[in-house]
Amino acid sequence: MNRGVVITGGGAVTPFGLGLEPVAEALRTSSPRFVEVDRGTGYHGSCGARLAGLVGAPDLSSWLPVAVGRRMSPPSRLAVTAARMALRSAGLPEERTDQETAVVLATAFGPASFSERLYRSVVKDGPESASPFLFAECVANAPAAQVAITCGAAGPNITTVQREAGALVALGRGAAEITSGRVVRALVGVVDELPPVAHGVLDRFRALARERAGLPEAPRPFDRRRNGFVASEGATVLVLEEERAARDRGVRPLARLRAVGTAFDASASRVGWGTGVEPLRRGLLRVLDRADRGPRDVSFVVSGASGSVAGDRLEAKLLCAAFGGGPLPPVLAPKSVTGEYGGGLLASLTIACESRPFGPTAGFREADPDLGLTPHMGGPLPSPRAVVASSLAAGGAAVWAVLEAP
Amino acid sequence: MPDVAYGDTPAHARNHRVVVTGLGAVSALGWGVPPLWEALLGGRSGLGPFSRIDHSRQRTHIAGQVPEGPSRRLGLPRGFSRLSVAEQFALFATVEAVGDAGLPQCFSALEAGVFFGTSTGGLLESERYLDQVWSRKSNGRGIGLMAGHQLNAPGDTVARHLRVAGPVETISSACASAAIAVTVAFRAVREGGVEVAITGGADCLSTTTYSGFNSLRLVDDHPCRPFGANRGGLSLGEGGAVLVLERAERALTRGARIRAEVLGGGVSCDASHMTAPHPEGEGAARALLAALRDAGIGPEAVDFINAHGTGTFLSDASECAAFARVFGERVRTLPVSATKSIVGHLLGSAGAIEAVATILCLEAGVAHASAGLGRVDPALAVDLVDCAPRRLEAGSTGVSTSLGFGGANAALVFARWASGLA
Repeated sequence: MNRGVVITGGGAVTPFGLGLEPVAEALRTSSPRFVEVDRGTGYHGSCGARLAGLVGAPDLSSWLPVAVGRRMSPPSRLAVTAARMALRSAGLPEERTDQETAVVLATAFGPASFSERLYRSVVKDGPESASPFLFAECVANAPAAQVAITCGAAGPNITTVQREAGALVALGRGAAEITSGRVVRALVGVVDELPPVAHGVLDRFRALARERAGLPEAPRPFDRRRNGFVASEGATVLVLEEERAARDRGVRPLARLRAVGTAFDASASRVGWGTGVEPLRRGLLRVLDRADRGPRDVSFVVSGASGSVAGDRLEAKLLCAAFGGGPLPPVLAPKSVTGEYGGGLLASLTIACESRPFGPTAGFREADPDLGLTPHMGGPLPSPRAVVASSLAAGGAAVWAVLEAP
Repeated sequence: MPDVAYGDTPAHARNHRVVVTGLGAVSALGWGVPPLWEALLGGRSGLGPFSRIDHSRQRTHIAGQVPEGPSRRLGLPRGFSRLSVAEQFALFATVEAVGDAGLPQCFSALEAGVFFGTSTGGLLESERYLDQVWSRKSNGRGIGLMAGHQLNAPGDTVARHLRVAGPVETISSACASAAIAVTVAFRAVREGGVEVAITGGADCLSTTTYSGFNSLRLVDDHPCRPFGANRGGLSLGEGGAVLVLERAERALTRGARIRAEVLGGGVSCDASHMTAPHPEGEGAARALLAALRDAGIGPEAVDFINAHGTGTFLSDASECAAFARVFGERVRTLPVSATKSIVGHLLGSAGAIEAVATILCLEAGVAHASAGLGRVDPALAVDLVDCAPRRLEAGSTGVSTSLGFGGANAALVFARWASGLA
C-alpha cells in the first residue's frame, strides 16, 4: 500500500519562546540565546562551561492548565505544551480519544531534575520521604505518557533514547507506525531538560564549549577553534500524517518525509564519537537510495554538527565521503543557534523545509583545514527538493532523514 | 511516491518469517539460561535477601538480585568489569545468545541491528556518583561512573562488542520497554531491514526504583504472589535477557537450531493514568489483539500465556480483565505462567526475560511453574500454573504480555518451530 507521510503541524517550547516562529527568527538572524547556568550546586568544576540554552519559566497556561501541569515533571509540561501546539497548527483537536494516533518521543536524559530530587530526598531524609509523585514522573516515558493522556492518543506509545540521534529516530519510528498502517498519524518529537546536574556531568566529560584564550564560550560548528557544544533544553513535537489523510482534510503540509535510516559506528567510545566513516557513508547513501535520491539531488544538508571536536570531524568526513569528494551542497548547522538538543534540530529541519531563510552559521569564523567543509554562510538556499538531516550521536548511533517541500 | 522507509526497511515489506536462534539470560537464578530454566521448571524462586543497595531503612527487604559473577568469562571482552552493572547483564546475555545461535561474536559482515529496552540503564552508577558529589569526595574524579548512565548504554555496548554497523535503537517505555524492542526488532527482520537482530533488555536494582515503588506501596514484603488471593505487590528484580532473531531461510540455510518462531507483536497505550492500569484492561487487550492480528492468528490459536503478572492488586486484575476481553471463556482453561514469581520484576527488561521463558516453555511443551503462590484470587479468571509445570497439550503458540507505567502495553506471539518453511 502506498502511504506517503507528511508533516502537518509543529509546536515547540525553546529558549526562544513558544512555537516554531521564534526559532525561525533566531535562525534567520543567527542569534543564539544562551544564559548562565547555576554553577553553585556542586556539580561543576571550578573553570568549566557557564552557558546553556534554558527555557526558563515560560507561561504555558494558555496551553496547559496550571492545575494539570503541576502534576507533571518539567519535561512532561514542555512535551504536552508542544504537542498541543502541534495539533492545533495541524488543524486537529487537542483532546480526543483516538487509537489512531501514536506518540513517539525521544529524550537523552529523561526527567533528570525529578530523578535527582527523588534520590536526594531518599539519601537525606530516608526512603520514607520518597515522593510517589516524583517517582511516577521519573520514568523516561513520562512525557510521552502525559502527551497520550492529555491528548487522548491511545495508539502505540514509544520513548526512544539514542542521545543526539534520538530526534530523527523518533521521526522514523513515527513514520514507520504510519506506513505500516497501524495508525494514521503520529506525534513525534524530542523533549529534554537541562538541570545543573546534567550540565555539570556534560562539563565534567569535557563535552561542552568553554571560554579559552580570549574566545568567549560558544558553539562553533566546523570551525577550527571549536571546543565543544552548548547544551540546551526544550521540547519540539511534530504531527506526522498519512499524506492522503492530510489531503482529505485539506491541510497544506509543511514537509514530506521520504526516508529515514540508521547506522552504527562501532569504533565510537561509550561517551564519544568514533572514526568509522565508511559504515556511516554506506548508511547515508542507503537512506538516499531508499528515498529514490542520489547525492547530486540533495538541495542542502541540515547537519547535527554542534561544535564538538570529534563529532563535527566525523560529520564533515562523512559528508565529504558521501558526496564523493565533489562540491558539497550547502550545509546548515542550526545547533550553532539552538544549542545541542534534538528538538532544536527537529525544529530547524521543519523550518528549512519551508524555505525559510537561514543566516550565516553563528560562531563560524575559521575553516578547519582538517575538515574540508565550510558551513552555510548566509544567502539564499536552493529550493528544498531533497533535504538531508544528519545526526551522529556520541556512543556510535547515526541517523539520517530525507525530506522535501510538499 | 514510495512509502517512507525506516530503519533500512524497504518500501514494501517482504514478510520474511522470523525465528529465534539464540537465547541468553542473567537473573537472580544465575548467569545464563540453564539456571533460569531449571528454576522455572522447579518453581524455585530467586527472590530473597539482597545487598545491591542499602535497604535497611526501606519498608521491604526482598528482591531478586543477580548473584556475584559470572564465574565463566569465556567470550567476554576485556574491560567487562568496568562496565555498569546493567551493561554487564546486557553483554553477558548477548555473548551467551550469540554463542547459542552459533554465530561469531563479530557482526561486521552481517546486515544486523541491535534493539534494546531498558528502564533505568546505569541509574545505580549515577546514584554512586551523586553520593560522591554530595559527600564532596568526588571533585569530578568519579565521573567515569557516569559513562554508562545513559539509557542507551546497554544497547550501544552490545552493538560495539558485536561491531554492528546497522540500526541500533533503545526503547525506554517503562516496564514495556523490552517487549516493544523485541517487536521493533521482529519487524526489522520480517520486513527485510536486517538479516539478524539482537534484541532484549537489561536493568539493575537501584535505590531510586526500590524507594519509588515502595513509596507507591507496590512492593510486597513477601516474595511476590502474582494473581494470588493474598498478593501484596511486586518484588523487584534485576538482570537481562537477549534473543537472536533471524530470517528463517537464513537460519535454515546455515543449519542453525531454531528455538521458536516469532509470529507477531503489538503495542498500545492506555492513555488514562500515569501509574494505574486501565481497570478493565482496555489498552492491554488492544496490544494483545494487535499482536494476534500481526501474527495472522485468532485468540483461539493461543495455547499458553506468559503473563506480565506483577503481583500488584490493580495490575493483576487489569491484566485478567484484558485476557477475558481477548480470550473470552477460554481464559479459565488457558495455562498462565508468572515468571516474576521466580525472578522478580526486571522492569524495562522484564519483557525480554519473559520472552525467553515463553520460548523455553514452547520448546519443552510445558507451561513453567510459578513459585509458591498459594490460593489464586477467586475474583480473577485465570488458570495459573502453580507449583509444578504443566504439560501443554497442544502447546504450539504462546503469548507474552508487558504492561508499564504511563499505560505502555506490549504483547508478543511466539510459536514452536515445527519444521521447514512452508
